[in-house]
Amino acid sequence: MKKVLIGGIGNVLLGDDGVGPYLAQLLLSRYEFGEGVEVVDLGTPALDLIDQISGRDLVILIDSIDIDAAPGTVRLYRKDEIMQHRPAVRMDPHSPALVDTLLSAELFGVAPANLLLVGVAAESYEPSCSLSEPVRAALDQAIAPILRELDRNRVAYRLSKNPTEVKAWWATDEKMESPLLAR
Amino acid sequence: MAKRITIDPITRIEGHLRIDVEVDNNAVSNAWASCTMWRGIEKILRGRDPRDAWLFTQRFCGVCTTVHAMASVRAVEDALKLEVPLNAQYIRNLILIAHALHDHIVHFYQLSALDWVDILQIPKADPAATQKLAESISPWTRNSRNEFKAAQDRVNAVAASGQLGIFMNGYWGHPAMRLSPDVNLLAFTHYIQALEYQRKALQVVGILGSKTPHIQNLTVGGVANAIDLDSANALNMDRLEMIRVLLEEVVQFIHQVYFVDVCAVAAMYPEWFKIGSGVRNYLAVPDLPLDSAGTSYDLPGGYIMDGNIAGTRPFKTASDKVFRDSVSEDVAHAYYQGKAFHPWSGETEPQFTGWDGEQKYSWVKAPRFNGQPMQVGPLAQVLVGFAQSHPLTVKYATQAINNVQAVGGVRVTPDMLHSTLGRHAARAIRASMLAELAQKHLQLLTDNIAKGDYTVHNQPVFPSHEVEGVGTHEAPRGTLSHWIVIKDEKIKNYQAVVPSTWNASPRDANGAHGPYEASLLHTPLARPEEPLEVLRTVHSFDPCMACACHAFDPDGKQIAKAKIL
Repeated sequence: MKKVLIGGIGNVLLGDDGVGPYLAQLLLSRYEFGEGVEVVDLGTPALDLIDQISGRDLVILIDSIDIDAAPGTVRLYRKDEIMQHRPAVRMDPHSPALVDTLLSAELFGVAPANLLLVGVAAESYEPSCSLSEPVRAALDQAIAPILRELDRNRVAYRLSKNPTEVKAWWATDEKMESPLLAR
Repeated sequence: MAKRITIDPITRIEGHLRIDVEVDNNAVSNAWASCTMWRGIEKILRGRDPRDAWLFTQRFCGVCTTVHAMASVRAVEDALKLEVPLNAQYIRNLILIAHALHDHIVHFYQLSALDWVDILQIPKADPAATQKLAESISPWTRNSRNEFKAAQDRVNAVAASGQLGIFMNGYWGHPAMRLSPDVNLLAFTHYIQALEYQRKALQVVGILGSKTPHIQNLTVGGVANAIDLDSANALNMDRLEMIRVLLEEVVQFIHQVYFVDVCAVAAMYPEWFKIGSGVRNYLAVPDLPLDSAGTSYDLPGGYIMDGNIAGTRPFKTASDKVFRDSVSEDVAHAYYQGKAFHPWSGETEPQFTGWDGEQKYSWVKAPRFNGQPMQVGPLAQVLVGFAQSHPLTVKYATQAINNVQAVGGVRVTPDMLHSTLGRHAARAIRASMLAELAQKHLQLLTDNIAKGDYTVHNQPVFPSHEVEGVGTHEAPRGTLSHWIVIKDEKIKNYQAVVPSTWNASPRDANGAHGPYEASLLHTPLARPEEPLEVLRTVHSFDPCMACACHAFDPDGKQIAKAKIL
């Protein structure tokens, strides 16, 4: 059994930075995953991320990225690339922690053999609990490489027979219904 | 002629702190601390249900999730004058302590130890001699030759690969690095071991909070943990036992490794007891309540003005009237409109004008207490505790003083605690107290449950008129306060005054420096182009700008750089 982590990273209070946590919840609502696969909304971890990624065979992280491309553009980064091209890839607000975490995990000998970062170019990081239109439109595009990576690693998943609502409690509508009631 | 050095951002801290120092004759002659990110998350909370605020506030910062959740429920409870059942107080206290122990371990080993430890010296160490040295200062059973050898091999492998990896930002071989190869190896080995023990502390948070990184068990009025000693799905004897075992290991690491290492490093850099003092006004709030109403606490609070420890004024409660009435946030040098506001009437209207050291230069507001800058954090807590003869503070402070003297022959006086090393020593003292208190509060919880008390929650009742509340927590980085105004069961205003805002604050309307800034003045620099000494002092505060400012900088740089302008 492969130990797999699919982790959504980002601040759900900062607009498109919440795309990682949102995608984690979207995956959970649509798919069923085999044993050993954990899908988690990680929030904005700093070095704590090391505890999440250590000892896994495969780690897929989903995060917003700030690059010179149209909002909603999906880019993939592999482990070696993230560690080597440190200045070239900028992922805010917590990218220093991602890079440092990987480098530390490598030193401690606990880094996952395989790591993929699925980055979604953001339009806005203004305080807000919802995603911008271009990012919303790119959600399926971001899910595709995640499923491909699972296939490549022979990790089982299937479409859920009873898809549920996306449990993104922070993404409230204008009426601001209580997330405690919604949960 | 004075040279200007900009460090943007400081390495190994989360977020976007920028430090500018002016250097004259190899010493810092002026300093500016600024944050390059805008803050305004509080606005999201307006109009929401106060019962939900904690879910949002724990997303302010990924490092300090639990502390913002806790301060938030306390703010609402303060506004409603709502008591919290004993079980809930103990469970909350255990979560707060376990989080703090995790945080202090990570701070010392992962974020600041490498300011003092020179990785390049490690290949020259002798693991057998290191073991002998380690055994002379601590009973830690993992101080073995094998563990030291394995750690040394890792460094050798990194050096041989030619890729410095995580070490690429260090100032290795800097003249201000002075530990012997064996001491460097000792500290580095504990740096590796620390990873395991901080995780055990987080596991305690996870068991009680049902999930990390974001706990799920809080409610306004208590906690949502079901207590049932006979149920597999509730807080039962098995889980209490798991927590006990985990805490035992963490407590041992704190007492036998972290505390001992800080004292040893301090003994070998005694000049740093005279550097980095800065603002000598201190502020700490009481925490770890021992009763439902919050009238007695295991950690004392109070404030000290102008270094007058004997004149410490205690706070009676965590929302003491003196504290409530004395806090304001000044924006004279911060990128906001308006003037100084009390947090209940605080506003967050941005007015970005670019970095100008004479005018506005930071996204951090300047919190002031009776108009004065205050230093917050473990040092503040230890000093106000010491002044009140708080037994645990006195116990571990005395032990630290004795340890430093035994290792380095340096006699530390209370006055020397106003320093860079004083902040590190105070954090180790605080961690040692918390370690002991973790076991105490687990026992209190177990005993109370054994008495048959399973109550965890009091129902909140909202009045129709407007109410105000403040929720405080003495967090790992110092005094945290959440200020809430509630009307018609909705949040009318919300402001978080976070520890790093106190410490990283810019100048105020009177021109008074914030604590980071003041602490850097007169710091000697061996090599201004490699300002290791500046990092040592800034890191001693344990900066975490992720919550001091909440968004990101569109023009920021990713890698820390020190450049001469």
